[in-house]
Amino acid sequence: MKTATGAAWLAEPERGSAAAIGLISWLTLKLGRGATRWLLYPVCLYFLACSGQSRRASRAYLVRVLGRKAGVRDVLRHYHVFASTVHDRVLLVRGRCEEFDISVQGAAKVDGILAQGRGCILLGSHLGSFEVLRALGHFKINTPVNIVMHEDNAAKTGRVLAHLAPELQDRVIAPGRPETMLRVKECLERGEIVGILGDRPLGGDRIWPCRFLGETARFPLGPLLLAGTLGAPVVLFFGLYLGGSRYEVHFETLVEGETVAREQRPEVAARWLERYVEWLEHYARRAPYNWFNFYDFWDAGAH
Amino acid sequence: MEQQTKLEGEVAKLIAEAVNLETPAEALDPDIRLFREGLGLDSIDLLEIALAISRKYGFQLRSDDPANGTIFASLRTLSAHIAQHRTR
Repeated sequence: MKTATGAAWLAEPERGSAAAIGLISWLTLKLGRGATRWLLYPVCLYFLACSGQSRRASRAYLVRVLGRKAGVRDVLRHYHVFASTVHDRVLLVRGRCEEFDISVQGAAKVDGILAQGRGCILLGSHLGSFEVLRALGHFKINTPVNIVMHEDNAAKTGRVLAHLAPELQDRVIAPGRPETMLRVKECLERGEIVGILGDRPLGGDRIWPCRFLGETARFPLGPLLLAGTLGAPVVLFFGLYLGGSRYEVHFETLVEGETVAREQRPEVAARWLERYVEWLEHYARRAPYNWFNFYDFWDAGAH
Repeated sequence: MEQQTKLEGEVAKLIAEAVNLETPAEALDPDIRLFREGLGLDSIDLLEIALAISRKYGFQLRSDDPANGTIFASLRTLSAHIAQHRTR
């Protein structure tokens, strides 16, 4: 599937070889973040030279979000921000949060829900780092976080991470299985968090067109239909990387948690989805180089 | 097409109502696949069906049931599972 190829470029064995990633991860844990960050430059230059498709996608996105021409320098910066978050993931899954300066805004929105013993859907995106969520234990949110994602993706991007933090693998929910949504429901009933990245269709999904950065793109309606079916609260999550060792985490309440009658569900879910996309655009403008969908996002429906 | 048993007929009706099927319930082949190919249902549809089953038959379908592959295979296998576990 084309959607998966672009974004996972750094971690794909056929591109950034698994051995190289293993080596960089090992060095990072041994020598620390600062001593290994320079490695990202040659990696980025390599991808700038070798990945025509991601380079074109990066440029097409940057032109929209910046509202000006985007040159090689911008693309390189875009790659570097992505590479930084992948690099940091190694430390984040190991719980090495002291290496980072993370500011959190709106955590009370999640706290309030969890304090009532309710679970919540945390709707994220490929804008910024979802892994920075692993640092939340640091901010006294100790509820288990389950993540809906493709296992083969998890296997590719995560073989090294799985090795570093095997306990996280049990919390990966594979999409597109008969029992996928049942599992989500059970996690929510136990008062846990279920993370879903809401900007990419997971395959076989119900799709809804929304205007994003001036043009229509297709977004998955599934996560919000699910929220309407189960009456689950939905909180948006953005973990933006702001350069250096700085991350900025934002939570925004999207849905308080209301069961919607089946007849109204598609319409209500579409309205929620449109609000999600508005927030996505808002934060894309705040941290434009954090967009990690390296494929033709607006044309995705054609693939 | 094979005949539906009485329970299969009931479950076919429950499915048709839960996911707005275009095919009339009584015309459902008991052996047609429910998920993806066949009836073309997705995971959200199956959740709707699971919720309807727990309301009507008084037991929960579980995500960690090792038999899920067979339970959700067809109207016939789903009905057989309900016959075994129903509490009402």
